[in-house]
Amino acid sequence: MTNSRRVLVELAGVTKEYKVGEISTIALKNISFMIYERDLVAIMGPSGSGKTTLLNMLGLLDRPTQGKIFFEGRDVSKLSDKELAYLRNMKLGFVFQTFNLVNRLSVLENIEMPLIPRGIPRSVRFEMVKEAILKVGGEIEWLKKKPNQLSGGQQQRVAIARAIVGKPSIILADEPTGNLDRASARIVIETFLNLNKEGHSIIVVTHDPEVANCMERIYVIRDGMIIGQYNANPGDSLLSKVPRA
Amino acid sequence: MALRIFLDFIRLALKALSERRTRAVLTIIGISIGPLVLVMMSSVVRSYSDYIVERITSLGQNAIAIFPRENYRLSEDDLSFIRSMPEIMRAEPFYSTQALLKRGSEEIRVSVFAIDYNLLFEAIGSLKIMDGAVPSDPLGSIVGKKVAFRGSGEQHFALGDVISLMVPKIEGDKVVGRRNVNVRVGAILEEYGGALIVDPDLTVFLNPEAGKKLLGMKSWSGIFVLTRDPSLVKGVVSSLREKYEDRLQVIAFSAIAEAISSVTRAIDFINFSTSLSAFAVAVAGVAATMITSVMERIREIGVMKAIGYTSSQILLLILLESIIMSLIGGSIGISLGIVGAHFLSLRGLVIGGLELTLMLSPKITIDLIARTLLLTMAVGLAGGILPAYRASKVPPAVALRYE
Repeated sequence: MTNSRRVLVELAGVTKEYKVGEISTIALKNISFMIYERDLVAIMGPSGSGKTTLLNMLGLLDRPTQGKIFFEGRDVSKLSDKELAYLRNMKLGFVFQTFNLVNRLSVLENIEMPLIPRGIPRSVRFEMVKEAILKVGGEIEWLKKKPNQLSGGQQQRVAIARAIVGKPSIILADEPTGNLDRASARIVIETFLNLNKEGHSIIVVTHDPEVANCMERIYVIRDGMIIGQYNANPGDSLLSKVPRA
Repeated sequence: MALRIFLDFIRLALKALSERRTRAVLTIIGISIGPLVLVMMSSVVRSYSDYIVERITSLGQNAIAIFPRENYRLSEDDLSFIRSMPEIMRAEPFYSTQALLKRGSEEIRVSVFAIDYNLLFEAIGSLKIMDGAVPSDPLGSIVGKKVAFRGSGEQHFALGDVISLMVPKIEGDKVVGRRNVNVRVGAILEEYGGALIVDPDLTVFLNPEAGKKLLGMKSWSGIFVLTRDPSLVKGVVSSLREKYEDRLQVIAFSAIAEAISSVTRAIDFINFSTSLSAFAVAVAGVAATMITSVMERIREIGVMKAIGYTSSQILLLILLESIIMSLIGGSIGISLGIVGAHFLSLRGLVIGGLELTLMLSPKITIDLIARTLLLTMAVGLAGGILPAYRASKVPPAVALRYE
């Protein structure tokens, strides 16, 4: 099903080992994995299984100890930190469990953060921010507010707006519904599905099966290894179980 | 585009500082002490030193005064020898003494110099006649402004008035009492300003022949010498000291100015070194503030890296915060330093022995302000560079995990 689509990210035999003094911990073991255009993927697993490390590899936030990562066919091990930063800025969007918004900045300033290193003029940035906040079901009035003046669900939508404002091809979300109630979680997932329909690849790390079942494919990871790949069961998804707020 | 990014970074840095306002304000206060001290002290010291040097050099960069030491009398032979030196343009003897001048009900102490008038105006270039002309009659004198005018500005002696001077009465080589001599006011000088060594404002100038007769002096008080060029002064002074050893005191005004300059330069250096310690404390303060700030925002830095900020952009962003603090601290310190310098200079500088109090405005120059501001910016850079470097080098995955 996915073979007709272009491969965006490929992990080839990736191992990640962390060393603290004499103690070493293997977070990922020989993982091979691909993300395609317009992909809709959930990565599931218990705490400490390596989900976030895998997401960090896909998001070019970390380098593997062994193996290779190819981003749109380019071996990223050969790229400098500056080139990786450029790829993250142009091609990737991140959504975190705790939103990671900066409370001293307004919602507008938070969302436009990825656009600043691109040198985009302020007026253009404002238009892009407006488009992004509307796309995630937010309101223009939020832009003047500080993030902590919004509810958790609203803050996560602001975080998603920040992730998509630069029009990335891939959105990586780490437990995006972990801090939300079911109604807010449903809105966030619906937002992701809408973004996927517009062409973004969505990778969601979650330990919530009802969230995972909203995606197309589910990878299950345990002890740093992918132990299974399944197609989602829409009948058991958050969308089918939680009514609209 | 780079400028736009830079301006956005400045905005972000200002926002970051405003979030931790109290800490930033305290750090800024710490930074401001160094520039305050530097501007206040340097501007005052420089104004005094420049004034003193300027006054001394106004007496002539090519001028040398020769005085006989005790038990030595200057003779025609000495004058001829000096005049025969190829470096010498002019050499004229002079008589000098102190006198009491009766001015109505008050008595003031004045100097009396009997010297060739042409040489006088040649040596002290800025000396100008305000009223009258160089007298040609033997009893005519040129008087300083403070001789003719009271402190209140009221004129007491006008042209043609006779002034009575109480001068030492000399018999043989000894002062045996006092006597009155009368001279006529032939010209009044413009105010010269607080002078050093010679104070023309409180001096009565006579021509040498009249001076010799009126003062009753049998030997010259000294010889005033002008060299052909200021560069020749050192050589002439050496030659005269070599020939006369300790029989003559040879004073070159340029050498005095040079000595004072070197003393004030030393004072300036001590002052600079003292203020450097304040700058060093400020560096530590900035570093402590920025390290704390970076630790508190490590997750935020992780997010910024995740969304595409490069390490050098993070470094610049953090560094801008410390530089902005130092610029604000520097501006406050410089402003307070300027105000403090004016207060400090109101006290005046009393020059012991000359009964002279200098009241001068501090010398605040663009150069002083620019150098102080640069030094303060260096404080921001030095204090901010380590925290900024550490922040820029944190791997994004590590920063995002940071609790």
